Amino acid sequence: MRKKETTSQKAIQQRVAWAAPVLALVLLLLLPVFARYNDYVLQVFTHALLLATLALAWNILGVSGSISLGHAAFFGAGAYTSALLSLDLGVSPWATIPLGGVLAAGIAAIMGLFCLRLRGAYFALATLAFVEIPKVITDNWDGLTRGSLGLVGLPGLPSLRLGSYHFDMSGSLVGSYYFVLGYGLVLLVLVTILFRSNLGLALQALREEEVAAEAIGIQVQKYRLLSLLLSAFFTGITGACYGHLIRYLEPGLVYGLHFSAIPMIFAICGGRFTILGPALAALVLYPVDQFIFHPLLPAGHEFLYGAVIILAILFMPSGVWGQLRKGHFVSIKTGSIE
Amino acid sequence: MWTTVLVSGITLGSFYTLVALGFALIFGVTHTFNLAHGELLVLAGYVAYWLWKTYGISLLFTFPAAILATLVVCLILQRLFSRLREPMEMNSIVLSFGLAILLQNGMLFFFSGDYRLIRVPTFNQGLHFNTLYLSYGQLTLLALSLLVIGLLYFLMRHTFLGKALRATIQDREAASLAGINVGGMGVLAFAIGAILIGLAGPLYGCVHYLYPTAGLQATLLAITITIFAGVGRIRTLILGGWILGFAESGAVVLLGASWRELVSAVMLITLLALRPQGIFEREQ
Amino acid sequence: MSLLKLEALSKKFGDHWALKEIDFSIDEGEIVGLVGPNGAGKTTLFNLITCRHRATSGRILFANKETTLCKPHEIQKLGISRTFQSSRPFAKMSTLDNVVVGRVFGGEFHLFAQSTDIDSAKQLLELVGLAHKEQTPAGDLTLSEQRRLDLARALATQPRLLLLDEVVAGFSPVAVKQAVDLVRRVRQRGVTLFIIDHFLSLSLRVSDRLLALDHGEKVAEGRPQEVMRNREVIRAYLGMRHEDEPHGA
Repeated sequence: MRKKETTSQKAIQQRVAWAAPVLALVLLLLLPVFARYNDYVLQVFTHALLLATLALAWNILGVSGSISLGHAAFFGAGAYTSALLSLDLGVSPWATIPLGGVLAAGIAAIMGLFCLRLRGAYFALATLAFVEIPKVITDNWDGLTRGSLGLVGLPGLPSLRLGSYHFDMSGSLVGSYYFVLGYGLVLLVLVTILFRSNLGLALQALREEEVAAEAIGIQVQKYRLLSLLLSAFFTGITGACYGHLIRYLEPGLVYGLHFSAIPMIFAICGGRFTILGPALAALVLYPVDQFIFHPLLPAGHEFLYGAVIILAILFMPSGVWGQLRKGHFVSIKTGSIE
Repeated sequence: MWTTVLVSGITLGSFYTLVALGFALIFGVTHTFNLAHGELLVLAGYVAYWLWKTYGISLLFTFPAAILATLVVCLILQRLFSRLREPMEMNSIVLSFGLAILLQNGMLFFFSGDYRLIRVPTFNQGLHFNTLYLSYGQLTLLALSLLVIGLLYFLMRHTFLGKALRATIQDREAASLAGINVGGMGVLAFAIGAILIGLAGPLYGCVHYLYPTAGLQATLLAITITIFAGVGRIRTLILGGWILGFAESGAVVLLGASWRELVSAVMLITLLALRPQGIFEREQ
Repeated sequence: MSLLKLEALSKKFGDHWALKEIDFSIDEGEIVGLVGPNGAGKTTLFNLITCRHRATSGRILFANKETTLCKPHEIQKLGISRTFQSSRPFAKMSTLDNVVVGRVFGGEFHLFAQSTDIDSAKQLLELVGLAHKEQTPAGDLTLSEQRRLDLARALATQPRLLLLDEVVAGFSPVAVKQAVDLVRRVRQRGVTLFIIDHFLSLSLRVSDRLLALDHGEKVAEGRPQEVMRNREVIRAYLGMRHEDEPHGA
């Protein structure tokens, strides 16, 4: 059911659709300047950016129509892989972070083997259960992972050497901030290319009408698996970055419900079938949680996430950004998913 | 040692069945999943704990309050669910997931993250049979679980309401054509589910530490047993509960307590992998 | 040349035989109608040909290649496409994009849609008369338009054999006439057509031959006029009372 929109309404929507992301980008680039004297603000937004990448990565699977409640499995796997390789073997985080992504994708492949035939609700339940496997294994394999004691003293984010310049990302808050921002932008570009390519087309088609998609030659299982693996890969990388950012890991933390729930909530509230929706939701909701609700309710401030997802699923299932972009599709020259 | 596993398996398993019963009933009647099920259990436990700790009320008299709490939340949930659009199964998962987060944070706010336990001294004493030790706590758990399950069985089999519920579970459309108020059955299912969970909660708080995020494990249990039993007969639910109870007890004995959480997760994934069409078999 | 050959094809669902020992062949360039009352097994036959379901016994040969055990996307690559009894457009995508999807996945794989894909899609929309609705979301089209979109999308995969399932169900007489013209134009492009048409309004007018099924069995095949005069076919469609059993005319 489409409301008939006036042309002026549409024009406004078009403008917002362009202006909002650009404005957001500018603000983000300049944030460290504004937040010069306020470390806390910088930390919050670094974390918000990290969660934005997590939501973007989750949505690579989300756009195929599947909802995962267990992405923490990939997050934690990536975190621990990168942490252990860099801590115990001294490998540079530049290498261990992608390796974290690879291991996460491997775990996703195992999960896909058992669960990819499942649809909708049953797939979601399977992902909810699946997290327990890497979590319990990591928790118990003391010899490798120090179990529930956790890992401390992890190397920080990798530093960048360009010629005679040396950017130490881990040394300062600003460095970390720009590292995560850089990663976020790279991921955003990749996701955009993905969604607008024929791959994205296949995912949208199989999401809308699986049988018809199959009949015109789309190998549904293959594309679903691909979206799962890519989603897990980038989730793993985000997890790895997280470990190097806070320099501490614990199974209950990185495999916890928090990192399974958050990307799902951000993606749905922002707009599950859009590119920017999940990231925008992260950049708005997390700071709101930290700046407004956390001081008011030191314990229990995360109720916000529960509240917004309930509101979203009842009143705006296509998400705030998704609602804004509704009925707008770019012709297939550049891709039909926005 | 194996007798311990046996006893523990049946005791735990019966309790698990009790926990799963409400979930299965709600799913059977309304085709919705309540992912906040475990949080409701913990909530009921917390209510009982609070009354016991703050006012010294004995365990028995905390049940009504716990049930009241779960009834309120369940009926709110039912109203929210009734406003959902298709696909019901998926949307109910997302919505109840959100509710679970709300409940977790609420409990965190009121009770903090510290581990709580309702201490009933008599529960730690017990009976000895040769090498077998059966605590009063376990006995109570077993007895109460079986009692409530039995009551529900009687309700479903021999009362008019029970038959109406079963008809709705088997075939919603046919039931509605036969004059059954299917919407009302949904409300009833939620109410009964709330009562069941409200009964289980205080018991849970006696044998298990209460903390805000304890619910997930219980939810997984309920889901696993429900999916095992298929379109539930109570007997199959009991069987599923016992199997899970044995598996967990066995795992604890063989591998250690920390592997216990894995059992229901592995069971659930295996069940889903083998029955990808879900609980209700649909015609091709 | 026999493009499609069915040999003793049978399908059982549980205890119930949906198709029994169907022998039939279709030559390249033909338009063949598949007729029969409800439950005769027509859609099941389509599902077997497109490998959406697996045959219980018998063989299917397409261009002399055995395809009984293929997967749906393999069948599509070999050159068989279909439409469905109820229209299944990709509702949130534009009409043009629906057809482009068919083009993109019907042929070789590229990372991005090519301009040739878009041009072909536009041509196909013109063929089915939907060019003016290029940018409309497919979910907003009328029933008749959605059916034509289904056809265009199926054609986009460049099939040799096209299976149309109840493509004119619910159409007005005018729309049926347009469908007749459209089907003929499709044949002119070199596509062989196999059409399910329960109400006969289309198939009687365009088909070279008919295959009539009842309760999963072939009861008649041949030219439309002959088949429709066949007593078994009449009985299948209209039903006959016990007293009307033949013992004299």
